[in-house]
Amino acid sequence: MILGEFGISLSIILIGIGIYGLLNSRNIIRILLSSEIILNSAILFVFSLSDLLGLVYQPVIFSIFAIGMALIEVVVAFASIILYYRNNGSLEVK
Amino acid sequence: MNLSLDLILFLIFSVISISSAIFIVSSKNVFYSAITLAFLGISIAVLITLIAPASYGIYSAFHLLLYVGATVVFLSVSLVMFKGLSVRQINIPWASFVAIIATGAIFTVVVLSLTTIQVSVPKPLDLQQLAETILSEYWFPAIVLVIGLLTTLIEAITLSRRD
Repeated sequence: MILGEFGISLSIILIGIGIYGLLNSRNIIRILLSSEIILNSAILFVFSLSDLLGLVYQPVIFSIFAIGMALIEVVVAFASIILYYRNNGSLEVK
Repeated sequence: MNLSLDLILFLIFSVISISSAIFIVSSKNVFYSAITLAFLGISIAVLITLIAPASYGIYSAFHLLLYVGATVVFLSVSLVMFKGLSVRQINIPWASFVAIIATGAIFTVVVLSLTTIQVSVPKPLDLQQLAETILSEYWFPAIVLVIGLLTTLIEAITLSRRD
């Protein structure tokens, strides 16, 4: 129970760091990595909250789908980044 | 494992995850940031296991296999294709202010919401029931995920070709 409450606090701190990374960067890969921090913290938040609510199957199933979709999202984002790099010769967002 | 040892491990991995996240957003080379994302993923998997080992331990295995083993490795290896991975540092003065305000707002909303919930302990997870639930109730998202992963495989092959 205590660990669930700590987990919620930790996930909110990680979301804050991710938001800072999103706002404070012009590099497209750094923006992608910051969104990955937010994804990780969201998953930790889901499990911490589910621990408090006593849920077992729902968080596991939804997080498996979410992490699978995150893999797809990273590959699609990376393909877009490669196209951006070929067209602009830089990874900086204007 | 008693609670105090759980708590100590939780605090250690919390520190690792926070330091990894800070390194990711502040490192001058994005390749090192991508490598550090693996440490963040591992520490998150350990933290999820520590919250309820009998219930959420199976997800941690998925997190390590799918996220750390596939996503982060793909990202790190693919970054080698780029030249000039060092990041030009920009300092936006209001970024930290907005991040603190957003964190405070989320924290306030969550604390206010938590006062109304009924706390209960999660039961141990039965793997067979998990599989039956996915196949009976969540079969459509599972098919979408499988098709998405297959297209990802094709995309990765296309990316690896030069032309």
